[in-house]
Amino acid sequence: MQLAWGPEEEAFRAELGRFLDEHAPPEARRKRDFTTADNRDDRIIPTWARDWQAALFDHGWMIPGYPPELGGRNATPVQTLIYMEELATRGIPRSVHFPGYAIVAPSLLEFGTDEQKRLVPAAIRGDTVWCIGMSEPNAGSDLASLSTRAVLDGDRFVVNGQKVWTSYAMIAGKCFCYVRTDRDVPKHKGISVLILDMATPGIDVRPLRNISGSTEFAEVFFTDVEVPRDNLVGALNDGWRITQGSLAHERGGLWVQGVSFVQQAVADLIEMAARRGLDRDPIVRRQLAAYYEQAQGLRALGYKGFSSFAQGSSAPEHSYLKLATSELQKSVFELGMELLGPLGAVTDAELGEQSGRFSHSFFMSFANTIAGGSAEIQRNIIAQRVLGLPRR
Amino acid sequence: MDFTLTDDQHLLRDTARNLLAKECPVALVRAHIDDRSAADPLWKHLAEWTELGDGPLVGLCLFLEETGAALAPGPFLVTTAMFAGLGIGPGPGTVALSPDVAPVMPFVLDADLVERVAFVLPGPVVAVCDRDGLYLRPVAALDPSRRLFEVPVPADTRGEPLDPAVLQAMLERTYVALAAEMLGTARRLFEMTLAYAKQREQFDHPIGSFQAIQHKLANMALVLERAWSAVYYAAMTIDAGDPERHRAAHVAKASAGEAAKLCAKDGIQIHGGIGFTWEHDLHLYIRRAYGDEHLLGTSAWHHDRLGDLLMPTAP
Repeated sequence: MQLAWGPEEEAFRAELGRFLDEHAPPEARRKRDFTTADNRDDRIIPTWARDWQAALFDHGWMIPGYPPELGGRNATPVQTLIYMEELATRGIPRSVHFPGYAIVAPSLLEFGTDEQKRLVPAAIRGDTVWCIGMSEPNAGSDLASLSTRAVLDGDRFVVNGQKVWTSYAMIAGKCFCYVRTDRDVPKHKGISVLILDMATPGIDVRPLRNISGSTEFAEVFFTDVEVPRDNLVGALNDGWRITQGSLAHERGGLWVQGVSFVQQAVADLIEMAARRGLDRDPIVRRQLAAYYEQAQGLRALGYKGFSSFAQGSSAPEHSYLKLATSELQKSVFELGMELLGPLGAVTDAELGEQSGRFSHSFFMSFANTIAGGSAEIQRNIIAQRVLGLPRR
Repeated sequence: MDFTLTDDQHLLRDTARNLLAKECPVALVRAHIDDRSAADPLWKHLAEWTELGDGPLVGLCLFLEETGAALAPGPFLVTTAMFAGLGIGPGPGTVALSPDVAPVMPFVLDADLVERVAFVLPGPVVAVCDRDGLYLRPVAALDPSRRLFEVPVPADTRGEPLDPAVLQAMLERTYVALAAEMLGTARRLFEMTLAYAKQREQFDHPIGSFQAIQHKLANMALVLERAWSAVYYAAMTIDAGDPERHRAAHVAKASAGEAAKLCAKDGIQIHGGIGFTWEHDLHLYIRRAYGDEHLLGTSAWHHDRLGDLLMPTAP
């Protein structure tokens, strides 16, 4: 056991720091919450964010664990963790749309044909915006029951069905789409993945406003959409394996973002409490300290999990971290609203800088215990896969 | 930043685990409730390991996790964490903290089996007395695996000056050391409960197959993992003299307290009626969990101290 990073790791951090000091645009340096309540499409990915993602790629800082031609520098897992830490500490985002670099790229690298792998650099650089067609109205937590159908007809598939909660669908160039290709086998065994060009006739995207009023996701309807057979990713009916997707070079460090976000939220609350004189209230002090304690414990748990990961062991800590950070975020933002008293439920910008900030973050935090495996699914995973309790 | 155990640390933990499995079965803990001397043979073994108190805190915590899991009676914790932390010579010893110096423990822990008692008095000063000749009044307590005493300061006691920084460091390492014992106790509570949930059948199925039980166990596992990480992080900051250590020590004790309490409460809930009997061992661990929670500051007390460090404005 050892607390400090080694000199080589600190040198890596310093090199990254110099790059960020020189190149990060001012918009990317705004701590936390760079999302906007503005629902105009051209604001989903602002120009500065496109340029910044491209700059990170071109300098080998987009996914450090990848080789230079994929926007990286062949960094080690420890260096990747330090990269995540440093960006999170500075509150600098890499990208404002995650599907392409975080999900599609590693999946194509692992399962794609040589032709499909040529799509990877543009996915990571952000030149192509991707959406992921997963959830459907009747396939949420039970994803494997998805029913959007693709029927093979000669050298093409014909797709019919509907996806929902599809982030970035209205601006995406391509969709990484899970479809049912066999209805006569157990549900996990009849799923395949297709790459869809979003300009194909028969695709209808209807934006959905989310709970905060902004439009980031959509419903997507498919009516007789023709997809070349070559756009099949992996083997036919082997799509479920791809859902268990590889995050390859990033897996050890992704938790840092969630933990840093909640730690920053606690720090913001402490700062706000001090400014409003609430830090003299012993109940407020105790509650803030309790959340600080939980967040700090989660950071230590992340490092513990990373230590096992770096040694090549499986690291169940990541299930714990997903569950705990998402639930803690909700509690912290709810406390922020509570501390504001009558102003907690006011969003009028003229009534001070805090107005609406914590309520907006609180509402957005509902997503984190639902998306990407709900808190209940996370507990099932911990109970069954980590603790070895029987399934029913 | 590395949480993996070295080969030596693995060996130390395994050695402690094997020693306590052999020398401190739960039958000994029960016998010790009625007959203090039942734990004498155990103390002879543990006394050989007290020099861990002079080494890195991480190593001591690995050992203490196992004494906590075994509910080991005796003055090992006070000797290695508190007495050794004052740097006043060889033990076995315990520490009597004046409430005017540190209002965190009004009783003296395991004073009957030590050779010396260090009185920490206003000043601060420290006076080391031979245990023989002191008046010890036993204090009845929830957890029979530890012994609490009131020990009046002898009339003509004079202390030597005690560096406040040494006192603070002793308290911080003791919070973390006690938290490590609590991790062991919480771990045993969790392991007993997990095993029971896999074996006990109702409605024709193991109760551990029901989601209501699975989610309770998932919560216990999470809180336990978080506390384990917080405790060893704190121990590493203390070993490294890192400025984060003051906060980390409070985080560790509060976090271990939350884990011990949750594992105690949901542990007995999942055991059902059998856990409510005197005959079942569960209550011994629950007593230790709550006894420790109230020793050297409750979780709420540590949150308040952490709050003082985070928000310097006095309340």
